[in-house]
Amino acid sequence: MGKAWDSVAFIPYAEDNLDYLPGTQASFTENSMSKERSHKATKVLERLSKKLNRQVVGSLVACVHCGMCTDSCHYVQTNPDDPTYAPAYKADRLRKIFKKHHDWTGRVIPWWVGAKSVWTDEDLEELKDIAFGKCTNCRRCSINCPMGVDFATFNRMTRGLLVSVGVMPEGVSVVSKDQWEIGNQMGVLKEDYVDTLEWMAEELQGELEDDSDMIPIDKMDAEVVYSINPREAKYDPRTIADAAKIFHFAGENWTMPSEGWDMTNFGLFSGDDDLGGAVAKRLFDKVIELRGKKLVISECGHGYRSTRCEGPNWAGMDIPFEMESSVDTMLRYVKEGRIKVDKSRNKTPVTFHDSCNNARSCGLFEEPRELLNLVCENFTEMYPNRAENYCCTGGGGAMSMSEYTPRRLKSGKVKADQLKATKTEIVVTSCHNCVDGLNDVIRHYKLGMEVTQLVNLVANALVIPAKIIPVSIPDEVLVLAGKKILVVDDEPDILTFFSTVFEDNGATVFTATDGDEAIKLAMAEKPDLVTLDISMPGKDGGKVFEELRTNAETSTVKVCIITGRPELRKLIYDRKVQPPEGYLDKPVDEDTLMLNVRKVLELA
Amino acid sequence: MSELLHFAEHTLQEVALIIMACVYTVRVFWLLRFKAGKERQPATGAADTTPRKGILYSWANIVMPWGMESTRTKPLMYIQFVIFHVGVTTAIIMSFVIPYLPKLMESNGVVLFFQITTGAAFIIAVLRIIRRVSGPVLRAISTPDDYFSLILLTAWFAFAFLAAPNNSAAGETNLLVYFFLTAFFLIYVPFSKISHYLYYPFTRYYFGKSMGFRGVYPIRRG
Repeated sequence: MGKAWDSVAFIPYAEDNLDYLPGTQASFTENSMSKERSHKATKVLERLSKKLNRQVVGSLVACVHCGMCTDSCHYVQTNPDDPTYAPAYKADRLRKIFKKHHDWTGRVIPWWVGAKSVWTDEDLEELKDIAFGKCTNCRRCSINCPMGVDFATFNRMTRGLLVSVGVMPEGVSVVSKDQWEIGNQMGVLKEDYVDTLEWMAEELQGELEDDSDMIPIDKMDAEVVYSINPREAKYDPRTIADAAKIFHFAGENWTMPSEGWDMTNFGLFSGDDDLGGAVAKRLFDKVIELRGKKLVISECGHGYRSTRCEGPNWAGMDIPFEMESSVDTMLRYVKEGRIKVDKSRNKTPVTFHDSCNNARSCGLFEEPRELLNLVCENFTEMYPNRAENYCCTGGGGAMSMSEYTPRRLKSGKVKADQLKATKTEIVVTSCHNCVDGLNDVIRHYKLGMEVTQLVNLVANALVIPAKIIPVSIPDEVLVLAGKKILVVDDEPDILTFFSTVFEDNGATVFTATDGDEAIKLAMAEKPDLVTLDISMPGKDGGKVFEELRTNAETSTVKVCIITGRPELRKLIYDRKVQPPEGYLDKPVDEDTLMLNVRKVLELA
Repeated sequence: MSELLHFAEHTLQEVALIIMACVYTVRVFWLLRFKAGKERQPATGAADTTPRKGILYSWANIVMPWGMESTRTKPLMYIQFVIFHVGVTTAIIMSFVIPYLPKLMESNGVVLFFQITTGAAFIIAVLRIIRRVSGPVLRAISTPDDYFSLILLTAWFAFAFLAAPNNSAAGETNLLVYFFLTAFFLIYVPFSKISHYLYYPFTRYYFGKSMGFRGVYPIRRG
């Protein structure tokens, strides 16, 4: 294949004048004769030759343009007048290139079969918009294609080709960088991660009045090595505590690694197999180093798929230990009687959302239902479900690509209708991406539902042995009493929400809607904490943060960045000042906000 | 029977068939040149799902309209698919029956059968042209090959319908056009989208194998 490519590299524009598509023909004619293929386009074509395998080639040549896949896509259903969302249309963006360089008819008479090469960086940007911005790789079209064309697989390949030349959404770049350099996709530092585990362990010791090691770290020869999504350490440590409680009462010999603990893998979303292999290997190597018997993967769709299924392929490793989802683990504990549960503790009607990666790519759909029925009184199915369920809209890394958020939320109408039809109050899912995606959909479409995970429900239903009496913390304890907090955000709704939460917990709150006002208030009031938005009119959060840090009067004030645009994180972290004490992505709920604020302020 | 019609029914078809077989062989070898991706991980999903079951389910999808939402929710589309492909099959069979088993065509029942299947396929093909031209999505994804293949098949169905009585004494035009079109298709198909049936076993094999290995196939609903 390499030779085939060599013959087509650096061919001037004129070659594509044959393209039959109106519009493009004109543009090529205008630019013809003198220009050569861009360096990035050249590299994409070179890499395409190397990435093709039989499955992908089969999918590229087999499409008959029947359109049967069209209605299976949630983007299509919410954009019925825009054919560019149709899976076959999106698939054709790569298929055209493939035909032009690898298919005989496409090479000889390209216009006849719609073959077309890629020439400029603008062409790659268009491809990026399709591959990242109009598809969540949910694979629903794949299971609805009569020909067995697996579009999601080669859309991921398209993403990988683009990423290999640096063409990707900013968020994908930032998250990939964090995972390459720091070892987890949210850039959680080792000390923060260990600190969070210790904090949760202490909370559990207090709650259960038990001094035993609640979260063993780096324990050798454990039966279970538990790996998590960094979102848990950063925003939702409650799930770690709940899992620890379950392991504790099951009497499990378990541990969590201090490094190589991230079971998520952005390589699945970015299409970067090298990243996928490196991340998976990091985790596998750690389990081997600890001589763990089994790797348990916490509830996360893409984490489960990329660790359990794709990881060994990317890493090129044969794995010497077992791997399973924590859903399987919890279900086994209940069935074996290792933990006792009381389903009457979860009375609120719940429905279940199947993560695409779990259900459609890994066949994990009956186990969560079995467990749900054991720990909940009132479970209602969502339709369609299992492998035919619709994407939460947050799949394929969509939550990190804020430039596509409006499209994503619009496509969420399908999910919103599904949720609404269940008439339940809680949606349960075994995926952290889905938690965020569903929360966004619920908020956007004002459904008033709550999203939770099985681990939370199982922990809530746990029957704790009588000798252990949990200490209940009275509701009236005001954890922020005596603290001064400055909330800086240009969105009035956010100001009101944060202020209410902090005031309800006893804090004195000041608010500022722009950077200058924030600095003035910080100087005047010397708050214990500043919650700071990044994107604001006038002086942005990055500049405000730097001024706070460099001013002697405010340099020790604790800062928690709370932003809806994670790709702007570098505005904060690239500055040569001490990094902020906390970081949160919007949207954020009350529990997460309070957990993080308590952590930043080192409050019990 | 004129010499031209005899040539069209025999030599032309045989040469076209040989060419098609050669090109198809090359095509299959080309596809097999690409390395098949391999799965290293242990199987996921329910214990009673296997790659073998997945492959069989995947191949059988074609006769299980309930298997996919896309066919389950559009029964008319599925019926059209069946009629269209039955028409293709019978038109192909007729191209062998007329030259090699002409006595069969003396039966009115057989002629009627060929006319009903190819005639119905013709109507569906016309509907498919209308759908492809009028639907914004189909228009956006269609290439000249898509239109040409469909129009040519439509014409082929029409001439198969007209040629079915196999009565050269009443005029050879319909039979000549039918056999020349058949020969053209045999040569053209490997280069066009119509060759999809060559890839179908491969794509569905690999997709079914993967989905069976991962416990997704056979699809379960609740």
